Amino acid sequence: MALIITIPGLVRLALVRDPDELLRVNDAGTVVRPLSGRGGLFNRSVAEKLAVFRAADGDIWPAFRDRHDPLRAAHQTSLESALSNIGPLLERIAPEITELGNYVRGGRTPRSMGVVVQQAVGRLFLPDYVASEESYAAARTLQAWLSAWPLRAAWLRRSGALKAALDHIEVASQGDMACAHATALAMHNIVKSIELMRELALHGDNLAKIEPKDAMLRTLRAPARVVREARDGDFVGLVRLRSRTLILLAVETARQQRASDPGLAFFAGAWNQCPAHGLVPALLGKVWEAARTRVIAGS
Amino acid sequence: MSRENDGFVYHRGLLQAVLDVVYRVVNFFVRWDHLPTLLGAANLSVFRERLREHNLHHTGYGTTSPGWSPGNERWRSADGSFNSLDHPRMGMAGARFGRNFPLPECVPDSMDDLLEPSPRVISKVLLARDTFIPATSLNLLAAAWIQFETHNWFSHGIPKEGNEFKIPLEPDDHWPENVRGCMQIRRTVSDETPREPWLGATPTFRNLNSHWWDAGQIYGSNRDRQLEIRSKVDGKIKVGDDGMLPADPAHPGADLTGFNDNWWVGLSLLHNLFAREHNVICDGLKTRYPAWNDEELFQRARLINAALIAKIHTIEWTPGILGHPALDFSMHANWSGIPYRVLKTVLGENSEAAYGIIHTPTDQHSAPYALTEEFTAVYRLHPLVPDDMHVRRIDAAGADCCKLVDMQGSASRKFMETHGFVNLLYSFGTAHPGAIRLHNYPNFLRQFKKDDQPLLDMAAIDIMRDRERGVPRYNRFRELVGKKRVKTFEEITSIPDAAKKMRAIYKGDVDRVDLMVGLLAEDLPDGFGFSDTAFRIFILMASRRLKSDRFFTDDYRAEVYTEFGLDWIQNNGMKSVLLRHVPQLGQALEGVNNAFAPWNVLRAEPWPSS
Repeated sequence: MALIITIPGLVRLALVRDPDELLRVNDAGTVVRPLSGRGGLFNRSVAEKLAVFRAADGDIWPAFRDRHDPLRAAHQTSLESALSNIGPLLERIAPEITELGNYVRGGRTPRSMGVVVQQAVGRLFLPDYVASEESYAAARTLQAWLSAWPLRAAWLRRSGALKAALDHIEVASQGDMACAHATALAMHNIVKSIELMRELALHGDNLAKIEPKDAMLRTLRAPARVVREARDGDFVGLVRLRSRTLILLAVETARQQRASDPGLAFFAGAWNQCPAHGLVPALLGKVWEAARTRVIAGS
Repeated sequence: MSRENDGFVYHRGLLQAVLDVVYRVVNFFVRWDHLPTLLGAANLSVFRERLREHNLHHTGYGTTSPGWSPGNERWRSADGSFNSLDHPRMGMAGARFGRNFPLPECVPDSMDDLLEPSPRVISKVLLARDTFIPATSLNLLAAAWIQFETHNWFSHGIPKEGNEFKIPLEPDDHWPENVRGCMQIRRTVSDETPREPWLGATPTFRNLNSHWWDAGQIYGSNRDRQLEIRSKVDGKIKVGDDGMLPADPAHPGADLTGFNDNWWVGLSLLHNLFAREHNVICDGLKTRYPAWNDEELFQRARLINAALIAKIHTIEWTPGILGHPALDFSMHANWSGIPYRVLKTVLGENSEAAYGIIHTPTDQHSAPYALTEEFTAVYRLHPLVPDDMHVRRIDAAGADCCKLVDMQGSASRKFMETHGFVNLLYSFGTAHPGAIRLHNYPNFLRQFKKDDQPLLDMAAIDIMRDRERGVPRYNRFRELVGKKRVKTFEEITSIPDAAKKMRAIYKGDVDRVDLMVGLLAEDLPDGFGFSDTAFRIFILMASRRLKSDRFFTDDYRAEVYTEFGLDWIQNNGMKSVLLRHVPQLGQALEGVNNAFAPWNVLRAEPWPSS
């Protein structure tokens, strides 16, 4: 059952953790992606944080486009089609997969693992994408911005760090908004997964014992929370959403309740299905395989 | 192009910021319409500033850059381009409607929700007229006037066949054009111009007319139409030997004028009246400027006539329909400023509050000028139209009861010929329009046959139009114009039984109430003819039509209008226009302060009971 918190003037919030409920709320007609900032100070602060994810000409990052936005649907279809060509794409990022495999089995990498992930992700969109410590720092700044408390958020904005990070990501992504989203925000889930893989791999003889698919299922991580807003009041199942309720979909918590179904992490089958829903599990599987290959070859 | 409203930014002054805070506190305890007149008027000005800051949203222009024509700098172009010399596409014919709300708020429901609840059921249960409810403070010219004006401001075009909405009919609904159990409603003409990526899911539509307050209903919104209506002699508009507008060969029953869709006798009266006014202005200009050619005379007369119409709308029609002292004060202040010399001096000559909007600097505030979808939505005022009226003769007692349906479309000119211009003006002046309330939608419009269109239930269509264009439903609309959402149906209305019927239709969900239903149901401030919620859009847009237009602001000066023109606008109003062209109305108008209030009935007889 969703947790509803309402403090007039401060917050109007619903936290949804149950997998079925989460999918129902995500699908409800009155629940939308764009945030108005109404409902309380907290609602406003979250809306202001997401409002920065626009290109200089006002173009909206794909993951923030509304359900009925024709461009969202068009982007989603074309991107899904591009990312469904999994074999050649993974071939394209074979060097990064090897590097990540090395990291998973305990090796040292000349650069941060996050940079390697960012480059791998970026190259799925742009073959010549180059990640650097700076571009990864920019991605971390944007991630930090989303979860920052007011003082830190104010500092990030005032100091210009936020703007610089956005500019850096956009330049690196050559104006490709989907690439910008993937290399700035979505990649952090993969970084978490790789870290978990490394922990898993270094524990006993897991690396040789666990099959790539199982390793992927055990380490796949979904975004902790995805935000929505109830534009008007409505009942969604048993949940009564008041108008302008900020909805936090606790995707990772829901996924943990259905660990055998990787689709939930990507809203597979829903209107907002992640175009990389097939690619990311395959990528993680390949990384595990790369780590194992060297071990098996070495042994 | 930047998404941020094409670079337009609102600048709030210190005084405005202070007043904003003060009135937030005041309105916590007292509604604006319960304040003393001056404080109420100041409250309206605060609302307007808030709306200017938050409720203007650009949707792109949707047109290509127009070509420059000589004269564009000193008179109105036919299509409204170059009103803003820096942004020539702004407000021109074919430009997109803007929005009064942030674009993500203006997204239509998905298909299933879009048809719920059935607009046909709403039409039958909530809108259909049982007994005519008259608006006793107005005459029927007021109803014709607002259509005359909306024909100046906007047209979405005539919907085409194909991809209609299919509204399921109830088993007991005997709709004559039942297509497989459904009533079909054609969609609004779609905007095929390239969409900017920042528009998101917000649909856009184009205005076929110029958005400006330029009397385009008389003069047309393109050069070809303008040339068609002109006599090409001394700047005058073509009229027949009888002094009436000629017939439009392309539109049987309608007069040849700038815009003649949805034609009926009420429109014909006003078009004829202001065509005559144009021609008289031409005579005046010709006497003073004998060297001017036809083009110069026509364009200057147009400027003067358009400004006179805007003035009549601002200080006569509006206070007529919204009879509240604070509003009366505000509308006069909008046009000519406040009558307090000391306050004027303190506020300075660029202050629109002190000196009126007219001839203060042009300002677009936070977005390029465009009329908005929400503006068109609040002007759905069909309940003003009666189903029938008594047609009187000015020189004899007695009256014929005529049906409105027989004085519209192809029958309009014949009806005018039969009864005569003077008698019809007199009849309109002495008849009441309908009150803008639930259960008062004219029944003939609920089963209306229009040329080349399927049978129309205009009430159901009005509901669908707001939905398909993504205009928020009533409760969210309230919130977005700065009013509190309501929690119950009883908070909206005290009309007997209305809350109960609405609850049943909307299945208890007050957030689903359609905008038009809410506006018609809402309890009104004292003296108001339509809802306070609709009025919020009105506060913003009525001023904007003037403030954004350089011909009402920067260029409202003698070099453009001539001294003669400025005097003409200053010294005339609806009553003087009527008396100039129809002096026989003298007695009927004697003692009538507002030409949109009921006139004197010259020969005693009972009021028509429709």
